Amino acid sequence: MIINVKLVGLFQTGRFKQQDREYPIGIKVQDVIDDLQLPQQHFGIVLINGVHADINTLVTAGDHVVIMPVVDGG
Amino acid sequence: MKIETTDPAAEPSAIFYKRCSVDLRSGDMSFADVPCRNFEDVLGGFGRSFQDLAKRQVENAYCDENPLIVNTGLLTGSSVMTALRTYFSGYSPIKGSQAGLPAAMWSTGSGKFGAKFKWTGLDELVFENRSATPIYVLIKETAAGPQVELKPAEHLLGLSTHAKIMALQKEYADAHFAAIGQAGENWQNNYMGSVALSTENQLKSHEDKCRFAGRGGMGSLMGYKNILALVAQSSDKVSKISEAVKKVNINVIKGGGSARIQPLSRGGGGGTWAAYDVLQEFHAVPVNNFRPQGNDLPERLFRANVERDYHIKSEACFRCGITCHNNISEKNADGSRGEFLAKFDYEPLNLLSTNLGIHEAGQAARLIQLTDNYGMDAISLGVTIAYALSYNARHPHQRILNGATFGDYEKIRELVIQAGEGRLPEIGKGSMRLSASLGETAYAYHVKGLEIAAYQPETNPGYAWAIAGGHMSMGTYGLLTREGKSDLESWVKGITEDKLHIVGFDMIGLCKFFDIAKGIGTQMVVDCLKSECNLDVSIEEIRASVRRAFLRGLALELRQGYSKAEFCLPAEVSENPNPNIKLPNITSSEFIEKLEKRVWEIFEPELQGLLD
Ligand code: SF4
Repeated sequence: MIINVKLVGLFQTGRFKQQDREYPIGIKVQDVIDDLQLPQQHFGIVLINGVHADINTLVTAGDHVVIMPVVDGG
Repeated sequence: MKIETTDPAAEPSAIFYKRCSVDLRSGDMSFADVPCRNFEDVLGGFGRSFQDLAKRQVENAYCDENPLIVNTGLLTGSSVMTALRTYFSGYSPIKGSQAGLPAAMWSTGSGKFGAKFKWTGLDELVFENRSATPIYVLIKETAAGPQVELKPAEHLLGLSTHAKIMALQKEYADAHFAAIGQAGENWQNNYMGSVALSTENQLKSHEDKCRFAGRGGMGSLMGYKNILALVAQSSDKVSKISEAVKKVNINVIKGGGSARIQPLSRGGGGGTWAAYDVLQEFHAVPVNNFRPQGNDLPERLFRANVERDYHIKSEACFRCGITCHNNISEKNADGSRGEFLAKFDYEPLNLLSTNLGIHEAGQAARLIQLTDNYGMDAISLGVTIAYALSYNARHPHQRILNGATFGDYEKIRELVIQAGEGRLPEIGKGSMRLSASLGETAYAYHVKGLEIAAYQPETNPGYAWAIAGGHMSMGTYGLLTREGKSDLESWVKGITEDKLHIVGFDMIGLCKFFDIAKGIGTQMVVDCLKSECNLDVSIEEIRASVRRAFLRGLALELRQGYSKAEFCLPAEVSENPNPNIKLPNITSSEFIEKLEKRVWEIFEPELQGLLD
């Protein structure tokens, strides 16, 4: 299946900003993070089709997945 | 501190802090080893100073009865990572209730002044009354214990924060400094004066790389007292780091707590600046006085875009491995570093650029530099100017001040300079007073008289219960954006349980980046207290103490005349919801009404007796 992945901030470094990517059916957000080798300690927010999700949320064909680092402090 | 027990929660009075009280009018001073009243006193910072402020009835920040309390936290000056904090407390000139009474306030910063102060042997310095002439205060370590001297300071008058520090450094090569700028000197017309704290980096490079205790106008209070600077002269007390603290420090750097603050070059997140990228995803980066437009304008100040034209270096305070300062300099033609400009922390950056309609990094840096040098709180200044620009945009034929509008860098710069020099009380006295005088308060972005931080209020109803500024004293700013919580239960719990614990850092002497998500009620802090002070404390005792200190702040607000109706967000947020913000709406009147009811039901019974 194809999902559209958008990376935010430092996750873009050495990767991409937004891309259609192919994954097997039944994957979770964590599988996308692993596939892209995103540094786990920076993982903060994931949105699927604009709604907050978590690493265990199932991703389905056509989903728009935004993965962002954590935001904190001033 | 003199510690004669291992159980500070059960026997606080067996722990003594060294206080010096100075009568600035007569020059008299007295030293005392004061027994702690409770665990909050032991931890220090605002946990102690607010108890002393509560004992005084103060009706005007600029009066003899209002003290300026300078203190540290229990771990300030220890070998624990980030243990450098100094706290300035008093009744605030800028934050006040509609009843006209000033609110109790504290402000804090890092740099090395706090550690040097602690190493003189003093834990607290209380200034009473005011000096008839400008002075600076020398606090020094001697064989007979700490000594305090009041010195004439006419030669420092009119100098910027940085210039004052540079002038004093010539006289006291082994000291560190806390100084106000021209804004604090002009306290009558500027209520948002900050206190600059020197860093090792600044003293070595002679570049203006201070840290700031910015919030609440503590620099203006210092100016009112005619104190232009503090000098802490002591030898460095850097002991061998224990295994326990070493483990904690490594955990702070590597364990994830501060990972996002670390430099990109070390695999970190690049500091608080990274908030731009994330919040923009929700169109929640403040633009043009907190009205995000749903466009990509904020992206111009993304780090990746600034990096092309400017030199960025991550630097740190003394011995801190977190390295949270993102220092921006000009970039020479060959790519090397040119003139140092300013630090790009998220709050000052946003509030002195995008939120004013300015999207060019060099202009943003110059405004931050000016604000720092004049010694003003970047948050209060930026938000008040944003209000004025917004007013002018709404009244094109009746503009106020110099007629500045969003994006007009030259005119905005002029406003900063005039405010810094005390020539523009309309800006210098903050957005609450300016908006009230103009009769248009709905879009003045303050809560309880203190300007909010650079997180859209639509994302943070918790601002209403922050006791000393928007994001530093109520950690709910990420509850919606980061955690996706939009239900009432999560918000009630966030405000009344978890997120208030952020204020613990403003007691113990550590930076929030030590462990911003969990606060100080952790095994890491328990281990540090055991190792550094031989104190046996439980996580529960720490959490109970932080909660009491927070609630005491709330009780003190009510005592200073705040009605519950003043615990509210700017009216525009619910009256004219911004459709561009891509997050669930949690600031409708109905939601806020329910939230207020639930939060007060929990807090109110606990407030009884806290000020006795
Ligand atoms: S976290 Fe930042 S401000 Fe705090 S001590 Fe470390 S470098 Fe300084």
